[in-house]
Amino acid sequence: MGINTGVAPKKPSGYDMPEGDEQSAQVGRRNRRARIWMGVFQLALVVAIVALIALLYSIVNDSFGYAAVENAVDPAQIMAGVQADRMLAAANTTTSEDDEVIAAAVAADPNAIGFFGYAYYNEHADELNLLRVDGVAADAATVESGAYPLARPLFLYAGQKAVVNKPEVAAFLDYYLRHADDVIADVGYFPASAEALAAAHDLLLQTAKAGIPAAIGDGAIAIAGSSTVHPLTLQIANDFRDIEGYTGTLTVDSTGTTAGYARLCDTQDVDIAGSSRAMTRQELAACDDLRVKPIELRVGTDAVAVVVSKQNTFLTDVTTAELEQIFSGAERWSDVNRAWPDAPIVRAIPGADSGTLDFMAGAIVSGTPAQLSAAEMVPLIKSAVSSGVFRRFEAEMPFAERSQADIYALLQERVIQPSVVASWSMTASLLRRAEIEKEVFTSFPDAELVWYRWLSKDFLTSPQSSVPEQAGVRTAILGSLWVVLITVLIAVPIGIGTAVYLEEYAGHNSFNRIIQTNIDNLAGVPSIIYGILGLAIFVRALEGITSGSALGVSDPTTANGRTVLSAGLTLALLVLPVVIINAQEAIRAVPKSLREAGYGLGATKWQVTWTHVLANALPGIFTGTILAMSRALGETAPLIVIGASTFITQDPTGPYSKFTVLPMQIYQWTSRPQAEFKHIAAAASLVLLALLLLLNGSAIYLRNRFSKTL
Amino acid sequence: MAIQTKMATGTSSSSASTLADMTSGGGMAAPAARTHDGPLAIEARNMNIYYGNFHAVRDINLQVEPRKITALIGPSGCGKSTVLRAFNRMNDLVASARVEGEVLFNGRNIYAPEVDAVEVRRRIGMVFQKPNPFPKSIYDNVAWGAKVNGFKGDMDGLVEQALRNAALWDEVKDKLKQSGYSLSGGQQQRLCIARAIAIKPEIILMDEPCSALDPIATLAIEDLMKELVEKYTIMIVTHNMQQAARVSDYTAFFMVDPKRTGHLVEYGPTRQLFTNPKEKRTEDYITGRFG
Repeated sequence: MGINTGVAPKKPSGYDMPEGDEQSAQVGRRNRRARIWMGVFQLALVVAIVALIALLYSIVNDSFGYAAVENAVDPAQIMAGVQADRMLAAANTTTSEDDEVIAAAVAADPNAIGFFGYAYYNEHADELNLLRVDGVAADAATVESGAYPLARPLFLYAGQKAVVNKPEVAAFLDYYLRHADDVIADVGYFPASAEALAAAHDLLLQTAKAGIPAAIGDGAIAIAGSSTVHPLTLQIANDFRDIEGYTGTLTVDSTGTTAGYARLCDTQDVDIAGSSRAMTRQELAACDDLRVKPIELRVGTDAVAVVVSKQNTFLTDVTTAELEQIFSGAERWSDVNRAWPDAPIVRAIPGADSGTLDFMAGAIVSGTPAQLSAAEMVPLIKSAVSSGVFRRFEAEMPFAERSQADIYALLQERVIQPSVVASWSMTASLLRRAEIEKEVFTSFPDAELVWYRWLSKDFLTSPQSSVPEQAGVRTAILGSLWVVLITVLIAVPIGIGTAVYLEEYAGHNSFNRIIQTNIDNLAGVPSIIYGILGLAIFVRALEGITSGSALGVSDPTTANGRTVLSAGLTLALLVLPVVIINAQEAIRAVPKSLREAGYGLGATKWQVTWTHVLANALPGIFTGTILAMSRALGETAPLIVIGASTFITQDPTGPYSKFTVLPMQIYQWTSRPQAEFKHIAAAASLVLLALLLLLNGSAIYLRNRFSKTL
Repeated sequence: MAIQTKMATGTSSSSASTLADMTSGGGMAAPAARTHDGPLAIEARNMNIYYGNFHAVRDINLQVEPRKITALIGPSGCGKSTVLRAFNRMNDLVASARVEGEVLFNGRNIYAPEVDAVEVRRRIGMVFQKPNPFPKSIYDNVAWGAKVNGFKGDMDGLVEQALRNAALWDEVKDKLKQSGYSLSGGQQQRLCIARAIAIKPEIILMDEPCSALDPIATLAIEDLMKELVEKYTIMIVTHNMQQAARVSDYTAFFMVDPKRTGHLVEYGPTRQLFTNPKEKRTEDYITGRFG
């Protein structure tokens, strides 16, 4: 109702405007209409915000997330190797393949420490003290349960077909499992628990459908695999012949665990493979695919005894961390633990060929390859690559001059070679974590599930690569910056000049109106047309200039016009209308009174234009420049036409360089089939957005600084 | 340098002989009977101004006395601003404007082909209706005109002198680096006057300088004009007849004819024009019967 009384005053004739309640209702209708429009605008705003968020989300979603990373070489294996070398190189260390020598050396010196297979400790228990490791003493129970840190299970793997079809194989395994405990201590290992052996035996019986034959038969039995299991197998094989009366050919090769698997599964020339570690799920699956279907039989446990002399008075307990220090070359006991005496450490360890040394090294080593010194990494690289490649690295930059980080990068690239075998988006990673973990566990048992940042420092600083994990955007960022720089340097002065001429100097004739109309329409020409124009003019017709060969800065036989300069010129043409139109708007917005004030003081046209018109139009001109820059930075189509490189690893160094730009790189990556390229395309999109924000931010900062004086 | 005079002497009698020749040789019908034979500051002869095909002002003959305030009054649209702007060729900035006739300044027609408008404006400064300081510091506002005109001397001294002459110095001496926009409307207008006198003109044209100001600021400008007139010739367009009566020495009254073409009706000493107008139309206007 408002101020109205509700009683319509008398209207004079011909007066037709709502009064009273009618007026209130009419105002209400007008307000409702205004509210509806406001709602429409708010909706538009919401749509815009949702679209922006969706865009950003889709990019970020692909830029981060879980990835299953598999290494060509296990970093733990590298560390074990490095640690073994450290141990062999440590001063004051006796090395021997003969455990008796080690035992004698340790027994003789109260400051000595050594280790060997557990079996030898029993023989020398009167001269030596066994140390508890991480608080656990080695005995049958702790070794079997795995509580003792320096223990590992030993296995046999037998092909199912061999067990079923070859009675002598089934018989041998049966004998093995029944008598392993009898001889294992003599060979130097710990027995497996009775339960483990019984379980293995049950599995054998289940597999051998015909049961264990009473008559052994005389077919050949071939065994290969772990050198650790080898002496045990050899002992049992001898007994099998001597005691059980087996007359066939029994060969036992010591090849190492992995080589044994290859002979069991791939070449299938052995029936049984000895193993000092469990087969990975991946290896098992691969083997099953080859129709071998191996069965796993636990036969014993290997453990290392760490011993000191009976004369030693201070050492009963040691941790694996202390062991690492002790055997890596610490000079005095007090250096490792202050509670220990200030006496030299004397070491006695198995030699380089010993599996015990390797096992011990792997068990006590800590740290990752990233912490290795340059001197430790160079030999690893040298042994992993061909001598030619190594010489090339040395020629590019001598290893002595390379930083540790550089060499580590090489180690990663050439030796460890981590590769992403599966990857997930951020949303999937956050919402389906358990599922992903299960999938990796079953499909990629050797892979490690890590939170992968596709957008990383390395991504920003690496050049393009055909391996998505190693590919980066450095070349593209530099290319984009060069192209935008040239675009802005050319388009902005020409654009401002044109705008000043059209606004301040040009007469109002039909010729100038045609020019104006043309400029307005050029802003809407498809960008690919500019690409065709650029190809014809800059790349082809002006090749001498754009390739730099006419100016003598590049080699005319190899140079062509597909350079940063051509791209910059083409994009300058493309953004010129944007710059001109914005500058014109800005110049038009400078009040006439300012111009009059200038002229009234006896200034010339140019003085007024420069000091007042241009100075006050500067913010608007900057806005046009920002728009132009954004357009140039995101443009792809014309650059494809003028021939920007899609794969280039060399940074652009100047206007005459070959180049690529970020949008090209993104375009190229999104068209690759591998999923990992989608991730780096998303990461590169984020980089492009950030670059855009950075460039526009600096332009806005400059604009504000210039207009602050107003 | 067709109309260049010695800067130091300003509007002194260095060109008196030339101007005397002009006035004696004129022989045209002067609207106001001159009371002496001294040199004129500026004179319009048979001036006609067109905007395209529109005849805006016709047959203006106006002799402006030096170091006096001459007010141009008349109803809206009578062309008084157009006439004022014709005295320093500001109409050149309007593409369609055309001025016929002569404007004699120091013996030269400022519309002669060899005369550059920039030279004219350096000698004949202008203050506009709405205060229009540059978006620069107060100091730069005053210094800029002198700088573009090649002033090489003590700029600080010049700025201070101009601001003192414009009665603004005491108010702004501590904030010369601040933007001209930070001043009040009246201060801005005085800054524009300081800016105009910093280039040492002989004549200052003021186009309704107080129309955007409150009465107190208006009074300050009027007092300033009375001080300035000791050194400068001032021409002022005003809608405010009281203002014209208060400050001016001479008044020119303009009217439009039925074709909307402006023309000069009566020109004479202010006192005479306001108390004893010769023309009926003038009397009707100043007594408020129309306009």
